[in-house]
Amino acid sequence: MISIKLDNVSLAYRLYEKLTLTAPDRRLGGLGGKIGRSGGKQVVQALEDVSFELKAGDRLGLIGPNGAGKTTLLKVLYGIYQPSAGTVAIDGKVDALFNINIGFRPEATGRRNIVLRGLISGWTEAEIQEKMPEIIAFSELGDFIDVPFKTYSQGMAARLAFSAATALDPEILLMDEWIGAGDAAFQEKAKRRMDELAEKAGIIVLATHNESLLESVCTKRMTLKNGRVEAFTTKPAKRAGTRAKS
Amino acid sequence: MRCHMPIEMAIRDGLGGSLWPAKNNAPEQRIAILPAMIAALNGAFDDISKAMRLHRVWIALAHEDIGDQHRRTTLGPLWMLVNYLAFIGTFIFVFKTKDTDSAGYTAYASIGLVVWFYLMEMISLSVPLFSREASFIQGTRLPLFVYVMRLTVQCIIRASYSVAGCIVILLLSGLGVSAEWLLSIPGLLLIVLATPAIVTVFAFLGAFFPDAQFIVGNIMRVGTFLTPVFWAYHGQGGIQNYAYHWNPFTYFLEVVRAPIASGEFPMHAFAVTAYISLAFWAVALLLLGGYRKRVVFLI
Ligand SMILES: Nc1ncnc2c1ncn2[C@@H]1O[C@H](COP(=O)(O)OP(=O)(O)O)[C@@H](O)[C@H]1O
Ligand SMILES: [Mg+2]
Repeated sequence: MISIKLDNVSLAYRLYEKLTLTAPDRRLGGLGGKIGRSGGKQVVQALEDVSFELKAGDRLGLIGPNGAGKTTLLKVLYGIYQPSAGTVAIDGKVDALFNINIGFRPEATGRRNIVLRGLISGWTEAEIQEKMPEIIAFSELGDFIDVPFKTYSQGMAARLAFSAATALDPEILLMDEWIGAGDAAFQEKAKRRMDELAEKAGIIVLATHNESLLESVCTKRMTLKNGRVEAFTTKPAKRAGTRAKS
Repeated sequence: MRCHMPIEMAIRDGLGGSLWPAKNNAPEQRIAILPAMIAALNGAFDDISKAMRLHRVWIALAHEDIGDQHRRTTLGPLWMLVNYLAFIGTFIFVFKTKDTDSAGYTAYASIGLVVWFYLMEMISLSVPLFSREASFIQGTRLPLFVYVMRLTVQCIIRASYSVAGCIVILLLSGLGVSAEWLLSIPGLLLIVLATPAIVTVFAFLGAFFPDAQFIVGNIMRVGTFLTPVFWAYHGQGGIQNYAYHWNPFTYFLEVVRAPIASGEFPMHAFAVTAYISLAFWAVALLLLGGYRKRVVFLI
């Protein structure tokens, strides 16, 4: 059963470099994040006592100001960061899109990058070749697929990243704020693909500042502030999956 | 990853299952060092076995690296061969004096330089390894040992060009091919087997102490002269005595060089190299097991 369960997860970054912040006057207004001290070291408490549970078909939207801990939470879910306290239990094949350029080699062509990404996800060469036409078609990059990745625009890179990641049939897909980089047509396509994924009883966790994207994709929303969960709401069921045709 | 993996991470507060020295540790904490070491070793073997299953990734990435370094050049990776030949050619030409004027010296210096280039390149590329791979380390769940193997393969590919150049020089030097040359193979294998461990240790060093990059860079530059790459040791005293006997690089060079240059298997050098390699593996496994989850926070 595909599921995500977090219990009292906390994560503190230690700051190894000297900070040029004057200690007493710390304004924690708009921005998230808290700089504190622990055993003589400066730490940023990026997540604090985060607990929630997601089940198959859930689409969670993460919102909160910059520095609230959204990216950190996604990286904890993906297993890149080990939390400093609490437990994370994840069941399902996870794929993540953090930053468009992550995991892509600028010098290699789009096609070669798809191969590399597939290998990184544990695919065989044959499986990659089988998926290749579909990935290229979905990205609509056409002849640009054989051009070095470094020449792509942000939107083109986003298309490739999204196409490759979702072609791997993830059961859990984590996405950071970058999705806005694609143009409107591609965002529409991406939404449809996310709907398909959720209908296959997958889980999506999406961090975004884009209200309309959140409205149309997500069934639940979680507001983070200073690393704490401020609100967790579930939308009325009727809205879920009502993006029939567009 | 492809399989269903229920990830259950139960993390004890603060310690995180690592060897991170806990402050305020009471005596009972010290007794827990052995279990911590065993846990570290388990973690290290887990990382390594995952990396081995992903061998296609590091082989592909290593080829990309070699390709990137020579993209848009006409000779491509052959530049590595040219570089080696130019270096060794200069040295043989410059140092050709009465006692070095022999096929023996040519062999001595050319083999010494192959091994030295390999060690120098491997170590200097290891120190910034994790920060160079920051984008992958912060964005994917690849085991750290994948990056270690990627660099290992890259170094071996690069070295194979200078090895080819070295063999040509040996054949042309008039030394005469002999069966003893095969006795170099155990030494070569030993160095290759030690490579991932040495890379791991220096990569962690670089991650925890960014200054290490400059310290190691200086040591390696000075090492070119303090290591018997071009000069031979004939029982001189003074600095050469120390530079020969107390320099770990000496033994790495000798295991490969002695069989060809002097026709005998260097038992002592082989033993010393083996001990050094084992020590590196021990440290590498502990570092990998204890600190691999911390690297992402440091780079
Ligand atoms: N690598 C890091 N080292 C130290 N602090 C970090 C690091 N990454 C993020 N932080 C801090 O953690 C907090 C949460 O960051 P993040 O998760 O990126 O927020 P968001 O994605 O919601 O904007 C911020 O205060 C940020 O400064
Ligand atoms: Mg973010």
